[in-house]
Amino acid sequence: MAARLLLRTCPLRVLQLRGGTAARPLQRAMASAGGIPTDEEQATGLERRTLQALKQGKDPYSILKPKQYTGTKTDPHIVPSIGNKRLVGCLCEEDNTAIVWFWLHEGEPQRCPECGSHYKLVHHELPH
Amino acid sequence: MAHQAHAYHMVDPSPWPLTGAVAALLMTSGLAIWMHFHTMTLMSLGLLLLLLTMYQWWRDIIREGTFQGHHTPPVQKGLRYGMILFITSEVFFFLGFFWAFYHSSLAPTPELGGCWPPTGITTLNPFEVPLLNTAVLLASGVTVTWAHHSIMEGQRKQAIQSLTLTILLGFYFTALQAMEYYEAPFTIADGVYGSTFFVATGFHGLHVIIGSTFLAVCLLRQAQYHFTSDHHFGFEAAAWYWHFVDVVWLFLYISIYWWGS
Repeated sequence: MAARLLLRTCPLRVLQLRGGTAARPLQRAMASAGGIPTDEEQATGLERRTLQALKQGKDPYSILKPKQYTGTKTDPHIVPSIGNKRLVGCLCEEDNTAIVWFWLHEGEPQRCPECGSHYKLVHHELPH
Repeated sequence: MAHQAHAYHMVDPSPWPLTGAVAALLMTSGLAIWMHFHTMTLMSLGLLLLLLTMYQWWRDIIREGTFQGHHTPPVQKGLRYGMILFITSEVFFFLGFFWAFYHSSLAPTPELGGCWPPTGITTLNPFEVPLLNTAVLLASGVTVTWAHHSIMEGQRKQAIQSLTLTILLGFYFTALQAMEYYEAPFTIADGVYGSTFFVATGFHGLHVIIGSTFLAVCLLRQAQYHFTSDHHFGFEAAAWYWHFVDVVWLFLYISIYWWGS
């Protein structure tokens, strides 16, 4: 905070002379025409990574509801994971109150111990 | 560096909830001390701590959302729910005072003369300053909507102008109401009429001041480029609150100023 106060009281010209830059008006290089930035221009951090990924059709942070699969051998549930295993909770039938939990490991698809639906772990990286 | 695989915000430890709780303690006990021993020290200390807490806590939220990008779409959704729930709780707060007003005014007791307004009370003419106040708040509802559309369309100058106008209208309402309070022919001590009138309109006035402050903070943030055309929830929350304040006034005007006169 002291540094900020010092910057405020130090005349701009002195700073420019020290820095060797020519005096020119401050320009907002990225502001869109009306003067209010867009998310594309200004979003940062996790919000930016989230929005950029969604624009590419990807959902690395599991924001959207998982895609529906039939769960057969040829159309297994695809389970994205950043590691080599992930917990899966299978709702064997709609409205079941008992969830069947199991670890899904990478490699061959596994089947739910209760209803036999196929699950396959697919590795993905987090954006950074 | 380990990154989270979810879109939620696990907030860093913060001292502000504790300082807020301490402020609440000092204000309440300070109020009791003021009433019995005529000294305002404890209460003032609590008020100061409350203001410091609010400033620092909300400053931190702005840092986390705008500068650090923690307010992803799911986080924003949670904030929306939060603001809606808070405003709902405020609706219930005012419902209580309306209940008190209707309880006393629908069946006026013999002590009041069996009539409403009670005997001896000269009510304010609803078609003078109160009607102007209604127009002022309705106009401010239009200007705040104009500000919102300006932000969404990326128009910086218009957003700043319409938001400033909204705040000025809010100040105008407060000034008019303050003048009405000063000139009123009855006081809060004038029976149940005075109590219901000044407690209900008084809390409303306090909410106008709070809402104007919230909008003013949004104006400062808008001037400093915090808002984007898609992500400006702080402003939306302020606008929701402002519409709520406007609606409460409409109910006050119809019930207390007009029907109750």
